[in-house]
Amino acid sequence: MRSEEVREVMRGALASIGALGVWLLLIPALVAAQDAGGVVAGRVMARADSASIAPASGAAISIVGTTLGTTTRADGRFVLERLPSGPATVRVRLLGYRVVERPVVARAGDTLRLDVTLEREAQLLSPVRVDAASPDVEAFVSKPNVATLAVDAAAMKGVPGVGEPDVARVVQLLPGVVARNDFNTGLNVRGGEADQNLILLDGHPIYNPFHLGGLFSTFMDATVGGIELMTGAFPARYGGRLSSVLDVQSADDARPGVHASADLSVIGATARMAGAFARERGAWSVAARRTYADAVTSMFTKDIFPYHFRDFHARGTYAAGGGLRLTVTAYAGKDVVDANLAEFQSDSAPSRASEGRWAFDWGNRVLGATITKELGENTTLEQRVSTSRFSTLLDVGDGAFAQRNAVSDIRLAGSLTARNAAHDRSIGYEVARHRVRYASGSSETGATDYDLVQRPTSAAGWVSDLWRLSPRWIVEWGLRAEALTGREWAALSPRLSIKYFATPQLAFTAAAGRATQWMHSMAGDGPLRYFEVWLASDSLTPVATAWHWVAGAERRFGAGASVRLEGYVKRYQRVLEANWSESPHVRGDEFFVAEGRSYGADLHARWQSASGVGGWVSYSYGVSARWRDGMRWAPGHDRRHDVDVIATWRRGKYRFGARFGFATGTPYTPMVGEIARRVYDPSRDSWGTGSSRLWIEPLGGARNAARFPASHRLDLDASRELRFRGATVSPYVSVVNAYNAQNVFIYLYDYSTDAPTRRAISQFPVLPSMGVRVAF
Amino acid sequence: MRSTRLVWLLLLAACEIEKIGIPPTQAHVALHGVLSASAPNQVVLLERTRNGTLAVTAPSFEVLDPVLSDEGIAERNAIVSLTTPSGATLIAREDAVARGDGKGRGVYRFSLPGSGLERGGTYRLSVRTTRNELLEAETSVPVGEPAAAPTQRLFDRVQDTIALTWPSAPGARSYVVRIETPFGPRSFFTDTTRVRLTGELRNIDVAGLPRVFIPGFPQAVTVSAVDSNYYDWFRTHSNAIAGTGLVNRIRGGIGVFGALVRLRFDELRVVAPQTEPEAGMFRFVGTPAEVASTPYLSLELYVESRSARADQDHALSGRAQRRPVLGYTGCLTCGVLGTARDGRIELALLSDWYARDTTDVFIGAIRGDTIVGSYRVSGGGVRFVRDR
Repeated sequence: MRSEEVREVMRGALASIGALGVWLLLIPALVAAQDAGGVVAGRVMARADSASIAPASGAAISIVGTTLGTTTRADGRFVLERLPSGPATVRVRLLGYRVVERPVVARAGDTLRLDVTLEREAQLLSPVRVDAASPDVEAFVSKPNVATLAVDAAAMKGVPGVGEPDVARVVQLLPGVVARNDFNTGLNVRGGEADQNLILLDGHPIYNPFHLGGLFSTFMDATVGGIELMTGAFPARYGGRLSSVLDVQSADDARPGVHASADLSVIGATARMAGAFARERGAWSVAARRTYADAVTSMFTKDIFPYHFRDFHARGTYAAGGGLRLTVTAYAGKDVVDANLAEFQSDSAPSRASEGRWAFDWGNRVLGATITKELGENTTLEQRVSTSRFSTLLDVGDGAFAQRNAVSDIRLAGSLTARNAAHDRSIGYEVARHRVRYASGSSETGATDYDLVQRPTSAAGWVSDLWRLSPRWIVEWGLRAEALTGREWAALSPRLSIKYFATPQLAFTAAAGRATQWMHSMAGDGPLRYFEVWLASDSLTPVATAWHWVAGAERRFGAGASVRLEGYVKRYQRVLEANWSESPHVRGDEFFVAEGRSYGADLHARWQSASGVGGWVSYSYGVSARWRDGMRWAPGHDRRHDVDVIATWRRGKYRFGARFGFATGTPYTPMVGEIARRVYDPSRDSWGTGSSRLWIEPLGGARNAARFPASHRLDLDASRELRFRGATVSPYVSVVNAYNAQNVFIYLYDYSTDAPTRRAISQFPVLPSMGVRVAF
Repeated sequence: MRSTRLVWLLLLAACEIEKIGIPPTQAHVALHGVLSASAPNQVVLLERTRNGTLAVTAPSFEVLDPVLSDEGIAERNAIVSLTTPSGATLIAREDAVARGDGKGRGVYRFSLPGSGLERGGTYRLSVRTTRNELLEAETSVPVGEPAAAPTQRLFDRVQDTIALTWPSAPGARSYVVRIETPFGPRSFFTDTTRVRLTGELRNIDVAGLPRVFIPGFPQAVTVSAVDSNYYDWFRTHSNAIAGTGLVNRIRGGIGVFGALVRLRFDELRVVAPQTEPEAGMFRFVGTPAEVASTPYLSLELYVESRSARADQDHALSGRAQRRPVLGYTGCLTCGVLGTARDGRIELALLSDWYARDTTDVFIGAIRGDTIVGSYRVSGGGVRFVRDR
């Protein structure tokens, strides 16, 4: 490890220890309060619709009002130790099934037998997806859960979408997450840049899961079972990104037979088929989506709309005997802009026949498999293998100029977790072989601007311990060791989270951790992320690092409501920003290395009543700054206040949703003039000849010295469920920006006259849309 | 430039919600100067950046007035001096002062032929404006022998590929390859000393990506060794949203002071097969009196591109031979761009070889081997008959 790395780790670790010292000093005094307690053991079975019963793997077992908990193995069995003597309530939860609570009376040294059969939860909207209780209830009682938010598919229903439901739009409504503008689903989490998020699909990384410059995400609503967002100080098992972890979990449908659903929205069509096999020991699903604006345009007009995107998602799970479970996830998606400019409808030009082809495409491919094996009563072995690839290609003029970037990896990861009543101890590893290619040139001229190939290997090993110290204390500590070839870099990243229950419903939390990142996007700090290029750290590009400190409190009100307040500080030792002036013929000037700091506070209140009313309120306060070379600026996503109110209401067969957002403005650089760029003609040795159009460019003032005005927006959504010959038909209508708030996207300046002007270009105007979901 | 295009594409989804007047800002002095080893003298352009205090105008471009005739705000009466590597100081004269006809405002000229430039030596430029602003910059001239006269060659766009090579130039940061086209030049940098140009090459520096090589047109191809100032200024752009990105090495102002040695100079006479009915050599036919008054004597036409859709026109290109007229100083053979569909043709007759300046428009029809039509400006009914 380099000496500066060692010093950084030590400095950060000392700071973390200082910040958490009070908590740590209290721990030993509380350990003594533990006793051996009683034991409850048993088996959980799940009843499918056909009345067949199968072992319920992964069901959460917890003792109500305590932090004690465990999960069932593949055969449905569980053992929960150290129950406090006396009466207690055992709660059993599994996504898609009704929660079961059983009273028990524990005695020290005794083992109670408890067998439970879970029944399916009532189907609320469609036969494909089922609602379940919010998973954050288990997280609250069983983990420190600092800076972590979980939203299941049920909670996402009714949140108004843009064109169609989109999980990324839901994530943008969570506290700590800043949406730059309506056109961008990139996530800026707690002051972090949009490339600093580790986005996982069923635990497998996906590089850039966005379509159309960030307008939509790649996750099809029908395939998403839930999301978990960690906005800072994440556990040791996660690494490689500075700011957040977003884990998108695919939806499973283990009902017998084959079930299908189709979604038609104003932008595209999605179809999904799913079912169970092997007597419901396995489940599968396949889904595909394609936008159809291009096809509709060419069908009804002579014009062309040369853009579409498509997604494909497949998933299979199989629970074999002996506690073995296999899960496979596959995703492929692509955006394609492919236009022969000559085919556009003629404008004032006499002929556009001579115009050429312009092609731009980008997309992700992910294939991952996870094998989980139960070893004995309390030990789980997990092994993952995956490959992920993101590529972009810009081809202008039939090969006259082409730029391409591809980043791919093959990854092996695994963990071994041993559980007992007090500890969930884990040890794991992750090894990834990356390949990055970034090339630019012209096949027509044979000129190569650059052709950079990187083949780094990253390796990480980690240990962690989720330690239930007492009914009041949970500590999760971890240490992640990481190394990267090419940079000859290694580092240790400590992670620590603590939760203290003042009462069973009120907990205080604190956490600290170091994060590192060696894959960097060159998309820059602009309002759109339209050309994503990734490069790896190497001898010329450093590894970015950041320390997180988080402290907060969470209060629950029964099972359906909670309020959480968290404050955070994030300190970047190195944060990379794209160099807009990089020379294609110089290696190592692709990024500037800056330092930075972000701090703020997030408030999250959510509720779900039995009457069908639910939703949440998010408030984020944030301050971010970056500096380098004597220059200091606020990054483009630095938003001071951001409020979102989301409400959904189910009444009979109707579901209504509303979202209101208010956000103060983000920084921008005002233009202070324009320059006419003169060009020298070496064939005539004179200026200005040869060009048919004057080349004018804007001149920016002080970086991000001004802020856009505050923006606000109301979105509404309504749907109805109809039954028709065994099918469920759910038409919906939605309106984005219902009162047509005129929110500013960017400003355009004109200094060519003696009365200079500034034009404001809007974000979304009022956008009505409609669609229908049909499920069989 | 490429990024900006996509931004505009996405902005189509948005709309303008407000337009307000804003106060003028401070104008800076913009400087464009390139020391050229092949130029008879060295020129520096001085102007003000646009800041909203003056309305810029766009009359027809004049090579003698490249600032004012091209929407510039000329910076007059500045003291512009150049210090040579040997320590001598040269003072530039503003063309507008030297000429006396008002042309050349903001154009400062040093009496220093390119042959007199010391290769590898550092030249320092100093500018003092009438507002007492001081601009300073320096450059070094790459080592290399300039190509003086162009090498003429015929280039069949369909069959030929040009392989250009040139000697390495010590002190050069890069090499710029530039091809003149009617729609604007195509230029790019390369670090190598060879490049290949195919006939199908597209011009990505021009909206619409037209082909670089246009049949019927003479097209100059130059390869020049450039210094780092030239390279960094012309390879960078100011981002449309952020307003940053330019590499500026002018102290006290903005722009470029670079150096260039033209290492290769070729002039291509671009041709293509003339197999379509609209293509061929057509000569004016008429009585001696008609011949004496017609503005054009012949048309050499090519189908530059066939239409991409059935309801669109083919694109035509070529050249037209003007009738010599006493006192006329323009081109005698000039460029033609036009369209053809269903036997009808429309030709823009250019005043030179650039698409931006049209002298007249011919509208007619093809009947067998004859083109019949009239001029929009000159009028008259004229006939051209296929010669080959």
